[in-house]
Amino acid sequence: MFALVVARRYLFSNPAQTALLITGVALGVTAFVFITALIEGLAIRLTADVTANSSHVSLEQEVRVARVLPARAADVQSVALVSTFQRRQIRAWGPTVALLRSQPLVSAISPQISGNAFLVKGEAVAPLAVTAIEPSALDAISPITTKIIGGDADLGADGILIGAQLAENLGLSAGQPVLFRTDRGVDRLLTVRGIFRTGLLNLDERVAFLSIRTARPLLRLPEGVTNIEVKLHDPGQAREFAAFLRDATGLRVTSWQERNTTLEGALFAQAQTGTLIQIFSLISVLIGIASALSLSANRRRGEIGIMGAFGVARRFIAAVFVLQGLLIGMVGAGIGCLTGFALCSWLATLTKADGTMVLPIVASEGSYLTVFALTTLGAVLASVIPARSAARLDPLEAIQQ
Amino acid sequence: MTDVLEARGIDMSFRNGDEVTEVLKGVDLTLQAGELVALLGASGSGKSTLLSIIGLLLRPTAGRITIAGQRVDTLSETERARFRNQRLGFIFQFHHLLPDFTATENVAFPAAATAGRMTGAMRQRARELLERVGLADRMDFPATRLSGGQKQRVAIARALMNNPALILADEPTGSLDRVSAEKVLDLMEEVNREDKATFLICTHDENIAARCARRIIVKDGRADRVQA
Repeated sequence: MFALVVARRYLFSNPAQTALLITGVALGVTAFVFITALIEGLAIRLTADVTANSSHVSLEQEVRVARVLPARAADVQSVALVSTFQRRQIRAWGPTVALLRSQPLVSAISPQISGNAFLVKGEAVAPLAVTAIEPSALDAISPITTKIIGGDADLGADGILIGAQLAENLGLSAGQPVLFRTDRGVDRLLTVRGIFRTGLLNLDERVAFLSIRTARPLLRLPEGVTNIEVKLHDPGQAREFAAFLRDATGLRVTSWQERNTTLEGALFAQAQTGTLIQIFSLISVLIGIASALSLSANRRRGEIGIMGAFGVARRFIAAVFVLQGLLIGMVGAGIGCLTGFALCSWLATLTKADGTMVLPIVASEGSYLTVFALTTLGAVLASVIPARSAARLDPLEAIQQ
Repeated sequence: MTDVLEARGIDMSFRNGDEVTEVLKGVDLTLQAGELVALLGASGSGKSTLLSIIGLLLRPTAGRITIAGQRVDTLSETERARFRNQRLGFIFQFHHLLPDFTATENVAFPAAATAGRMTGAMRQRARELLERVGLADRMDFPATRLSGGQKQRVAIARALMNNPALILADEPTGSLDRVSAEKVLDLMEEVNREDKATFLICTHDENIAARCARRIIVKDGRADRVQA
C-alpha cells in the first residue's frame, strides 16, 4: 500500500517530532492504564474487604405486616393482625438449603440462629449478638478459626467463642466458665472455648459464636433457623442471585450490595471520576495528534499541492495523513500499555511496614485492549480533520505559496 | 500534424466583492503534436492563468478546451485530476520534489500514488527517464542532496513519467542560475526533438522564447500568435 509507505516516510522524516508525538500518546495511555488499574484495584479491595467477613446473600423470613382482609359487607372492614406469638423464623429450612446446594454459584451455606444475650461475670454484664452455627460451618462465611488467639475453635456441647475485646472487658480467658443469659430469659453456664480477634471492634466486643444445637433451647427455637447465610464464588452476582432466590423461596433475600448501599454509591462515584480522568487524558492525546498532523499538513503544503497538480487522488492524500494518525496511535498506545503495565506491576510490589500495599493497584485491570482500541480509533478520528484539509488543498494555491 | 491542444474563447475573470477583474478575454489557442511553444507576456498579463486553465488547475469563466482529442472543460474534479495524472506533465518554477524520497521515487510518485503501489515497472521507467535527463548517477539520491539544476531535471523526468500528451512548464528556469538554466533548456529541447513531446512554456524570458519554434504573447487578456 503506497499511502502507508508515504505515511511511514513522513513520520521518519522528522524522528524527533514523531518520537515526541508518540511519547505524548504513550504518556496519556500510561496515565489511562494507571488510573483504570488503581480504580479497579480499589474497588476490588473494598469489595473484598466488605465481602470477606460477611455473607454475600442473606435469607430470612419476610417481616409480617397487618393487612386488610376482603370485606364480606360493604360497610365492614377487617384486618389480619401480626401474630406476636410466633417467632420470625425459617421453619422449613431444609428444602431451602437443598435448593442452595444445587446452585453452582454457591460456594458456602450457613444456616444460623441469631439472637441477643448477655454474658454475666459477677457484677459485670455485657450484651451479645449471638450467632449459632453448625460447628462444621464455622468458617463458611467468615474465617474465625484463623483468628483464634486463645484456646481453640472447637465449640462442643457447651462451648462459646467470644471476641478479644469482650474477653478483656470481662476478664475472661479460654477455658473459663461464664454465665450466658438470653433475651428469652434462659440462663446457662457455658465455657469460653476460644477467643478470636478480627480487628473489627464491633465483632471483637459484641459477637459470640455457639453451636446451633446448644443455642436451640437457649434461644427457644427448637426447629427452625432465623437466617441462612450464603457465600458465592463471584460476589458480583449476588444481586441477581438474590432476586432469583426471592422468587424461588418467597423469603426476604438481601444481597451484600443492598446491605452496603453507601459503599456501592462510593464505588460508582469513584468509577465516574475515573471515567472523567480517562476521557480527559484521551482527549489531550487526540488534540496532540490532531495539532501535530495539522502542522505537518501545513508544512507540506507545497508537496501536497504538487501531488494534486499531478492528479494524485484526494483520497490518497487523505489516506497518507489518516495512516500517520493510525501509526502514531497504534505505536503510542502499544508503548503506553507496556509502560502502564510495567508501572502498575512495580507499584503493586510496593508495601507498607505492615505488609499491605502502598496503592491497591491491580496491574491486570488496566483495560489494555480497551485503551489500545480507543486510542487507535481516536488517533484515526483526530487525523481526519488535517487529512481533509490536506486533501482539499487547492493545488494551484499551494504551489504558488 | 494533429492538434494536441485546442482552446476556444477562453474567458477568465475574478470577482473581489463587487469588483470584477477580467484577466482573459476570448483567448483562442492551438498546439500541434511535437511543438515547442513559448507563452510570453508581462507580469500580470494572464499567461500563468492561461497555463493553469490549460493544465486543468483552474476552471475558466467561459470557453472550450480539447486536449488530445478529449473535451476537458466539462470534466468533474475527479475526472480532471485523472486526466492531469494520465495525459499532462507539469514543470514548475520551483521543483517541488518530495524531500523524503529519492530521485527515482519522486519520478515514479504520480504513477505509484494513482496505482496504489510502486511496481518494478514504474521504478524501471523512472530510472530510464533519469538516465535520459543525465542523472544516472543520482537515481538513489534523496531529493535533498541534489543541486537546483539536478532537481529541475528530476522534475522534467517526473513530468515525462506517464507519457503525457502535453507538458506545461511555468518559468522552468526561473529559480536556476544561468548555467543550470541552459542545461535544463537544452534538455527540454532534446526531449521535444527526440521524443516529439509537446511543450507549452510560460516565460517572460526572451532568451527562452527565442529557442522555441513558436511564440504566443498574452497581452491585455488576449493571445497573439507570433511565428519564431
